[in-house]
Amino acid sequence: MAVNESLRVLRTIHYDEHHYSLFVSAGTIGPKTKPGHFAMIQAGEGFRPYLRRAFSIADVTKVAGVPALEFVVKIVGVGTAALARFAEGTPLPVLGPLGVPFPIDDLLPSDRVALVAGGIGLAPLVLLARTLAARGIAADLFYGGRNENDVLKRADFERFLGPHRCRYATDDGSLGRRGRVTELFTNALAGGVRYRRVYACGPVAMFRALAELLAEAKLEGSFAMESEMACGFGVCLGCVVPMVDGRFATICKEGPCVSPAQIDWARL
Amino acid sequence: MTVDLSTAFGRLRLKNPIGTASGTFGYGLEFAHYLDLAALGAISVKGLSFRPCHGNPPPRICETDAGMLNAIGLQNVGVDAFLAEKLPELARLGATVIANVWGDTEDDYVAVVERIGSDRRVAAIEVNVSCPNVVKGGMIFGNNPEALAALVKRIRAATGHPLVVKLSPNVTDIVACAHAAVDAGADALSLINTLVGLAIDLERREPKIGFTTGGLSGPAIRPVALRMVWEVRKAIPKIPIFGMGGIETVEHVVEFLIAGANAVQIGTANFRDPSLASRLVGELAAWCEDHGVARVSDLVDTLRTRPRPDHEFA
Ligand SMILES: Cc1cc2nc3c(=O)[nH]c(=O)nc-3n(C[C@H](O)[C@H](O)[C@H](O)COP(=O)(O)OP(=O)(O)OC[C@H]3O[C@@H](n4cnc5c(N)ncnc54)[C@H](O)[C@@H]3O)c2cc1C
Ligand SMILES: Cc1cc2nc3c(=O)[nH]c(=O)nc-3n(C[C@H](O)[C@H](O)[C@H](O)COP(=O)(O)O)c2cc1C
Ligand code: FES
Repeated sequence: MAVNESLRVLRTIHYDEHHYSLFVSAGTIGPKTKPGHFAMIQAGEGFRPYLRRAFSIADVTKVAGVPALEFVVKIVGVGTAALARFAEGTPLPVLGPLGVPFPIDDLLPSDRVALVAGGIGLAPLVLLARTLAARGIAADLFYGGRNENDVLKRADFERFLGPHRCRYATDDGSLGRRGRVTELFTNALAGGVRYRRVYACGPVAMFRALAELLAEAKLEGSFAMESEMACGFGVCLGCVVPMVDGRFATICKEGPCVSPAQIDWARL
Repeated sequence: MTVDLSTAFGRLRLKNPIGTASGTFGYGLEFAHYLDLAALGAISVKGLSFRPCHGNPPPRICETDAGMLNAIGLQNVGVDAFLAEKLPELARLGATVIANVWGDTEDDYVAVVERIGSDRRVAAIEVNVSCPNVVKGGMIFGNNPEALAALVKRIRAATGHPLVVKLSPNVTDIVACAHAAVDAGADALSLINTLVGLAIDLERREPKIGFTTGGLSGPAIRPVALRMVWEVRKAIPKIPIFGMGGIETVEHVVEFLIAGANAVQIGTANFRDPSLASRLVGELAAWCEDHGVARVSDLVDTLRTRPRPDHEFA
């Protein structure tokens, strides 16, 4: 069950002018968090941003020995800009952990899985990589961005998964292969690797392409989806996506981690 | 001093004047983890239709200055599923439940109300004649006093429950609509629903909401809501009124009571803070105590206005 609590800002690390990691005290949310969970954060008491903003809980970690939640954030508007400016010690209202996490309980040590990230979509995959590593499950990372600056927290992924399991693609070729992350992934499949499940987070265009690839290859997927959210706990019905059964499903409650086979991509 | 928060609301006696607004409180159960449902004066559940409704395609919401636009399109589980799956638990938790209902046609409204029948677990029925986000029904009744009166008459004949009519603010003359509803048999009024608005994505030159327009809620609408509560209170001195629109603090609650509301409903603010409504109950008692108010009902309709001057041309 999610809790609504006030957590202190512990540290903010700015990667470049658009990306940062925000660490807050873990509170009681930390121990409850599973990979794929998210939280709703109130960035200030003002009228803009007015509603809370949704962020994946990227990691449950420590800052100078203090249990912490890490959020990895890309600045796209008022809320994400405001959140970058809070001084150490500032209390932030945080509601979490929320949503359906990535399905991992059924994985066996002999399974191999893939993690596919586009841009800021790395966020929910950090704690996933940490958790899989702890359980000894082999995972390959395919991570793409526009340029090198878009591809964050590589050291963490390489530490958890092993550097040889981390592959990158950038639009401008500044890191890894020039091209799209889905091309990297297609090449791996062409090489004959079979994945038990493919965990992904990224922009809609990446999701669409990947959903098609997975359907063709008959591979199971779990996508951490995004949508504009007013509440984050299933009451406003604002965050829906169309499903193949004709319903609209809330991303905050029935997701964010959903099977791509259930999404009606044509209507999205 | 112990403050008396109890609120006479027509035939209803509410524990206190703090309720929650339809569409911002789910079916209530989603909030049971964040607050004590029984501690609230009343909870109005998501608008119920006869058949389940899928609602509008996304995007359905966007933030605006001091508020948000929504065009959910009244997605709901349908009245039967509500009665079977939600109401028993709400009753067990001791919630005072207001069933908010809507339909595309008069017959649809009547069908929902008949399904609820004389179920005592429902304290009152709130008729939404003011949803701006569906193509049919809703607003057609809310914008036209004659259509509104005809609808309310039929619902009145179909139910013995206290009948609250939730008016649309998207009208020139809110008082005419209030009179139409009350004359047709409404026991009480709720005001206001959301104000129709438009938000634009500049780069795409597209509306940010899939339905094009959406209903504006939140602090941005509070002055309009207060004005409408006050106008209706002046025109119909005795009618019980639920006031709502942008309430976030105990001071806002008191403003609505002074303007003439007997009770209030907390809306969009529930999204920011799911425990807010129950906290406001305690804060209201404290506010009254600090201000020497023994009974919260003593605050109702106490606005002191100055006479408005005639034009003075220089
Ligand atoms: C479950 C979930 C997890 C998320 N995890 C992360 C994360 O780990 N890191 C991260 O940086 N971002 C994440 N997001 C996206 C983040 O919520 C939005 O970027 C943020 O709400 C934008 O707020 P803003 O005030 O800065 O932008 P605004 O000024 O509100 O809007 C700027 C632009 O962002 C778009 N936008 C607004 N809200 C969202 C949203 N919820 N999802 C997608 N686009 C949006 C708007 O349409 C607009 O184009 C997540 C979203 C969800 C739903
Ligand atoms: C997302 C959302 C959904 C709503 N759904 C309903 C509804 O189903 N029925 C209804 O009568 N009002 C509905 N409303 C209107 C609210 O009950 C309330 O009248 C309005 O939002 C003004 O109050 P606020 O500014 O405090 O939110 C909805 C409002 C929002 C924001
Ligand atoms: S964000 Fe409100 S229902 Fe999902």
